[in-house]
Amino acid sequence: MSITEKILCSKSHEYLLEENGNYIIGLTDYAIEQLGDIVFVELPEVGSEYKKGDTFATIESVKAASEIYMPVSGKIIEVNDAIADAPEILNEDCYEKGWLVKIEKTGDESEFADLLEYEDYKEDLE
Amino acid sequence: MVKKTYLHEKHIELGAKMVDFAGWHMPVQYRSIIEEHKNVRENVGLFDVSHMGEVFVVGEDAEEFLNKLVPQNISKLTDGKAVYCQLPNRDGGLIDDLIIYKLKTNTYLVICNASRVDEDINWMSLNQRGYNINLDNESHNLSLLAVQGPKAVDLMHKLGYTDDQDSFTIIEGKLLNIPMYISRTGYTGEDGFELLVINEYAEHLWDKLLEEGKEFNIMPIGLGARDTLRLEAALPLYGNDLDENTTPVEAGLSWSIPKDKLDDYNGKKIIMEQLENGAPKKLIGLKMLDKSIARHEYEVYYQGEKVGIVTSGGVSPMLNANIAMAYVKNIKEICAGSVVQVMIREKLHDAEVVKRPFIKKRNKVTRS
Repeated sequence: MSITEKILCSKSHEYLLEENGNYIIGLTDYAIEQLGDIVFVELPEVGSEYKKGDTFATIESVKAASEIYMPVSGKIIEVNDAIADAPEILNEDCYEKGWLVKIEKTGDESEFADLLEYEDYKEDLE
Repeated sequence: MVKKTYLHEKHIELGAKMVDFAGWHMPVQYRSIIEEHKNVRENVGLFDVSHMGEVFVVGEDAEEFLNKLVPQNISKLTDGKAVYCQLPNRDGGLIDDLIIYKLKTNTYLVICNASRVDEDINWMSLNQRGYNINLDNESHNLSLLAVQGPKAVDLMHKLGYTDDQDSFTIIEGKLLNIPMYISRTGYTGEDGFELLVINEYAEHLWDKLLEEGKEFNIMPIGLGARDTLRLEAALPLYGNDLDENTTPVEAGLSWSIPKDKLDDYNGKKIIMEQLENGAPKKLIGLKMLDKSIARHEYEVYYQGEKVGIVTSGGVSPMLNANIAMAYVKNIKEICAGSVVQVMIREKLHDAEVVKRPFIKKRNKVTRS
């Protein structure tokens, strides 16, 4: 199974991937493609908590700064330090290496209702 | 309605990302802004800048008329010479910045910003009374292609260009049998050329430049890299760094203003007064001391006090640092070497005041 078959996507282009009961959050390849060269990533502190829809990170391309939103509520349990040092990793691989944070979810299942499977997300874009 | 240049189809074919800019549907990038940027610094890049405005000022009073409009001394231009100019209003605020070319006696070409063509024409018309001149806005009939980078001259030679013109000169000539104006100017800080042709020749010229430029690693370059290139060279962008509330002295353009020009011109009193005694604000260059990026309209602080605002900011692919230009209160404590702070997402980030341009410009040296 390829990674895109396992992710859920938000309309604001974040993806959510389950891993041992927790979740990895990143940006979809479509979002990365639109942004172009990523040159700066600002990640949250481990331990901070956010509600679904909160801004938790900022990603800057050459052109502009973009806010990244929580697809579901959660507590940050790990951040991807590698991308803070080398943001271009996001352009190369936004799933395996270029994820943003890992979270422990704090909301209920209803928060997943508006997330889309990758295929449907792609279709929605067209 | 959004306007398209005669090269619009070419940009689409090349897979460019398109954006609306100053009323035009323009390519912002073809591949990667950083790659395109580096290619202009190292090899050569091709830009479609047909959105720029071209106004011909013709008539027996053309020189006198232009002298009334700009702080620069148009009388000093000889045939084929160009000068970087500003178009101030009566209070010294800038309506636009321009390049004025003297084509021959009584005939001048004014290149203006796409976003300001209408304002410029309007302003020129308002000032026209009493002068025997004709304003001919040819923007819709002409395409402008910029060939920029250290290998631009090699590409031009390959296409049969034999002249050895200086920076800031223009000639009327032919390349590939296409009649054109060739000027040695640009907006990148590199040596290069701008080729002005009637629209019907634009596609052929574009294709040929890309084809013949392959051996020099030519790339088409979008507005994204055009912006990062001009920022590294600290060239102002109208709308970001220049506006009607900013004088050329405040904008750090005093170097371009002669003190001995006798003719009166719009805004002269305030501009001369500021040249003499200083202006309330000044433009500075900033280099961020961490990885954060200062952007247009972010606030600048000095010793806890808000002192100004960023007008242009972004990455410098050549310095591997983030740079910005900002207007700050004109106090002597803020000078090259001092550290100020930029407010970015509610946090202050240190930035060092540095000299402009951020990189060494490599325009062709003008022979004296």
